[in-house]
Amino acid sequence: MMDTAAAYEFVKERLGVDARATDGATELASLGVDSLSLLELMFEIEEKFGVKVDEDTPPPKTCGELVALIERLAAGAA
Amino acid sequence: MTPRRVAVTGLGMASPLGATAAASFDALLAGRSGLRLYTPPEAQRPVAIPAGVCADFDAAAALGKARAGTLDRFTQLGLAAGLEAWRDAGLPEAAQEARDDWGVAWGTGAGGAHTYERALRELYVAGKERLAPLSVPQGMHNACAAHLSISLGLGGSSATYSVACASGSMAIGEAFRRVREGRAPVMIAGGSESPLAYGFIRAWLALQVLAPGDEGTAPSACRPFQRVRAGLVLAEGAAAMVLEDRERAERRGARIYAEVTGYGESSDHGNLVRPSAEGQARALRAALADAKLAPEALDYVNAHATGTREGDAVEVAALAAVLGERARSVAVSSTKSALGHPLGAAGAIEAAITVLALHHGALPATLGRPEDLDDDCAGVAHVIGEPRRDAGSRAALSNSFAFGGTNTVLVFARAD
Repeated sequence: MMDTAAAYEFVKERLGVDARATDGATELASLGVDSLSLLELMFEIEEKFGVKVDEDTPPPKTCGELVALIERLAAGAA
Repeated sequence: MTPRRVAVTGLGMASPLGATAAASFDALLAGRSGLRLYTPPEAQRPVAIPAGVCADFDAAAALGKARAGTLDRFTQLGLAAGLEAWRDAGLPEAAQEARDDWGVAWGTGAGGAHTYERALRELYVAGKERLAPLSVPQGMHNACAAHLSISLGLGGSSATYSVACASGSMAIGEAFRRVREGRAPVMIAGGSESPLAYGFIRAWLALQVLAPGDEGTAPSACRPFQRVRAGLVLAEGAAAMVLEDRERAERRGARIYAEVTGYGESSDHGNLVRPSAEGQARALRAALADAKLAPEALDYVNAHATGTREGDAVEVAALAAVLGERARSVAVSSTKSALGHPLGAAGAIEAAITVLALHHGALPATLGRPEDLDDDCAGVAHVIGEPRRDAGSRAALSNSFAFGGTNTVLVFARAD
């Protein structure tokens, strides 16, 4: 089982957003995350957490959704 | 079409002396050195060189973490300097008017060196098969120009010049021509470089042109025009300037720092790395002719002088050949003594410094002592040790002479 703090820490480190607080609703687009940089983020998540993001995974829209995605993937990998 | 007058209405900079143009220029006038001993964190085998590192630059603070994380450092530095220049010019980031003929001209020599080196480490050292998806668009030389176009909604020309140490200077020169010819009312121009990656440092060491130094001597490792000079000091940095049709700038009440009045270029067509006084003289003459400036009206030269034995003396010889008797009274300094040599960004940073020198009536000094000046660099009025307060300076040159033999010279005039 992964440390869920790691998912929050990744989002904070990478996007400067504390998704534990109300910032979880922050839309990725408002941070300038476009489709290309989302691709980069998914790559980093795969490398960091040792998971595989399926191509048909719906793209997260908010920081909270991004954390949830990391947790779900990591739980599946465990 | 009548040539347009070209005003500099905004400046931005990230340098080893500060994260803004004002901070960098203040530190320069205070005689501070931005150089120190540097070891790249990714070094496979121990190496330490004197270098100019932009230690005050905080990419996340300047650009936001999400955006900064997708950019090579040369783009982080350049985009931040560009946005600073844009704000400084009083222009809004979001387009409130059609900007289909506004553009960007950018210079970089090494481009995304960090991105490429990281990718190569992954492939060759870590043995991985997969690279980060942004490796190509993050590393490409025109990434910074593209991000400036995107951020500022510039729909006209977006060009990147990669001419080694003349890159930033050529970018400003070409942007100047575009505004003067009436093809663009506003251009943002400059250059950025972040060459302090392990492989790049090793390549420069192999060329045997870097100045040696240790913890104690690194700040004074770059000594242009002086007997003790022993080579150049690599640095990172960026500078941007907003060039604007002067009539347009006056109509909107913009502050005008200075005017760009001329640009000259030449090729040595001789040797890849050995400078040529004849080649440099051709660029100097072309620039003065372009600006219709007589040598007698020239006050200051921000020299290319990198601190190499041969290069500094050749530049003084070229100045003497072109300026004649006037050379002896023209103020000359090399700000690389404090900032190091940021390669493709050098021409942009030094052009911005030249503009600020005219604007403030303060000529920054070469760091060092007058008594250490080398005889083979005599013949010009060196500003060394102490800056010269000279509100009377009206016209100045910024020289950039590149490996490959490309020489560029920009001419600036005080705003009034």
